[in-house]
Amino acid sequence: MLRWLILLSSAVVLAFTLRNDTPYTLPIPASFGHRYTIPADNPMTLEGVALGRFLFYDSLLSKNNTISCSSCHQQNRAFTDGFALSIGVNGRTTARNSMSLANLLWVRHFFWDGHSPTLEDQALIPMAHPDELGLAPEKAARKLQQTAFYPPKFKRAFGTDSITPLLMAKALAQFERTLISAQAPYDQYLRHQYTLTAAEKRGLDLFMRTSDPTKGIRGANCTHCHGGAQFFQNVFHNNGLDASPLDPGRQEVTGFDADFARFRVPTLRNIAVTGPYMHDGRFRTLDEVIDHYSEHVASSRTLSTDLKGPMHLTSSEKKDLIAFLHTLTDTEFLQNPAFSNPFLTQ
Amino acid sequence: MKKLLLLSGCLFGAWNVSAQVILKVTGEVTTPLQLQASDLKALPHTEVKAVDKDQKEHHYSGIPLIELLKKAGVTIGGQLRGENLVKYALVRATDGYEVLFALPELDPEFSTRTIVLADAVDGTALPTGVGPYRIVVPGEKKPARWIREVREIEIRFAK
Ligand code: HEC
Ligand code: HEC
Repeated sequence: MLRWLILLSSAVVLAFTLRNDTPYTLPIPASFGHRYTIPADNPMTLEGVALGRFLFYDSLLSKNNTISCSSCHQQNRAFTDGFALSIGVNGRTTARNSMSLANLLWVRHFFWDGHSPTLEDQALIPMAHPDELGLAPEKAARKLQQTAFYPPKFKRAFGTDSITPLLMAKALAQFERTLISAQAPYDQYLRHQYTLTAAEKRGLDLFMRTSDPTKGIRGANCTHCHGGAQFFQNVFHNNGLDASPLDPGRQEVTGFDADFARFRVPTLRNIAVTGPYMHDGRFRTLDEVIDHYSEHVASSRTLSTDLKGPMHLTSSEKKDLIAFLHTLTDTEFLQNPAFSNPFLTQ
Repeated sequence: MKKLLLLSGCLFGAWNVSAQVILKVTGEVTTPLQLQASDLKALPHTEVKAVDKDQKEHHYSGIPLIELLKKAGVTIGGQLRGENLVKYALVRATDGYEVLFALPELDPEFSTRTIVLADAVDGTALPTGVGPYRIVVPGEKKPARWIREVREIEIRFAK
């Protein structure tokens, strides 16, 4: 009996060393909720996440081994790059501004125009794009296959050491799903562990409220689009950047005229470190962004109804709003060792 | 590539003008619907009174949502019982905003108020950015479910 038990348990141990798929438990903040989908064929595992992190930081994925995902998605900038437009492997710029990768788990349509439905699908796009990594995923897979480093890591994560673009995408998606940002001073304020300054509190009220002149209430109603625990809604709007927009945005994906010049509403978490702002990186600072909403919203046929009345914020209201936006900077996220370059910490 | 996309966008746009689907009804239905402006005009209309954000009462005319559910073959009336009571309608706007109604809220055998897909307010068509169709829920104190630019109604089971 004992012999059988020992045999059985060593078989179990053996199985685990061959394929170490230890489940990874995501720390889901209660306020964010569980409205997200992890594809059934790509469950989160410690090994998958660790592999995805290596791939994210590895310049082997680019045509001439010069850049990686992390070149345009840098942790200390909440995974953006500080440029109006990013610079790809050929030295040319991308068509749009790099996006933060915080809280992607709750994003339902990826990219500024929402053309990609899942992270698995998304990951292959920058690999192949000539102005991003510029290397066909099949070729990248062959490069990784020839290393001594990667095949055992794929074996542990997915039970096979034959590397394919699909498995690379799955590992990258697993790593990206772990990038949760929910420890900003604003979150501590909600847990009664941080006291907002008077300016931050006034800024919060402006952010959350709708103007009601009859009751003497001042509000910028940012929450209408950037509201909720994640500070974005999965919606597409034209926020009045131009009177004659050049980039058709969401319309290119849906074909609907009503979608012309609409873009996905991006998260405002960590917004103080993710400039320049907007899909084309036209604003360098938050002051310019607030000036835009306050005075320069341009009318065009798809301008969002909620931005039609001018806001005319006073200069102290503008300062308050910006003070509030700074409470969304999550230094724990920006410095979390689990999200950093694994080649440096090894 | 970008040019190609643009070009196909134009073609798609042109195609849209001639036969643009305004509203889809999908999900747990026997007949999925792809309705054009003329189909919607032909459906029974009614008028309801309701108070909007401006605190004023307006007259809205539109299609009772129940008419769309009937046309799509949703389990309403005598069939709205048992597990069908955990079905709901998810209404989605152009921008992606979504709101939810439990089926009994829409069924006159359960509810005394008529929730409509309005196309006009006080006798004039809804303006762009609000119309062509907007949900109006008479008697609801906060108009957050009065979703504008409605593009799709999806019937689902709560799982
Ligand atoms: C050359 C710079 C560059 C590189 C390299 C790059 N990206 Fe990006 N990334 C961007 C830009 C620019 C966007 C926005 C593009 C758009 O919407 O048109 C973006 C968007 C994204 C998004 C969408 C985020 C959202 O909220 O929708 C994800 C996810 C992403 N990148 C992941 C990756 C991964 C994974 C890699 C490596 C395989 C990578 N990126 C490599 C520049 C880059
Ligand atoms: C009607 C919806 C809507 C409202 C209301 C709104 N925004 Fe935006 N916001 C957007 C959209 C859409 C974008 C992206 C636009 C683009 O790049 O074309 C955006 C972009 C931004 C950005 C840049 C984000 C980035 O990563 O580049 C900031 C900052 C911002 N908004 C702040 C605010 C503030 C502050 C308010 C309130 C004064 C506000 N927004 C109100 C829709 C809205």
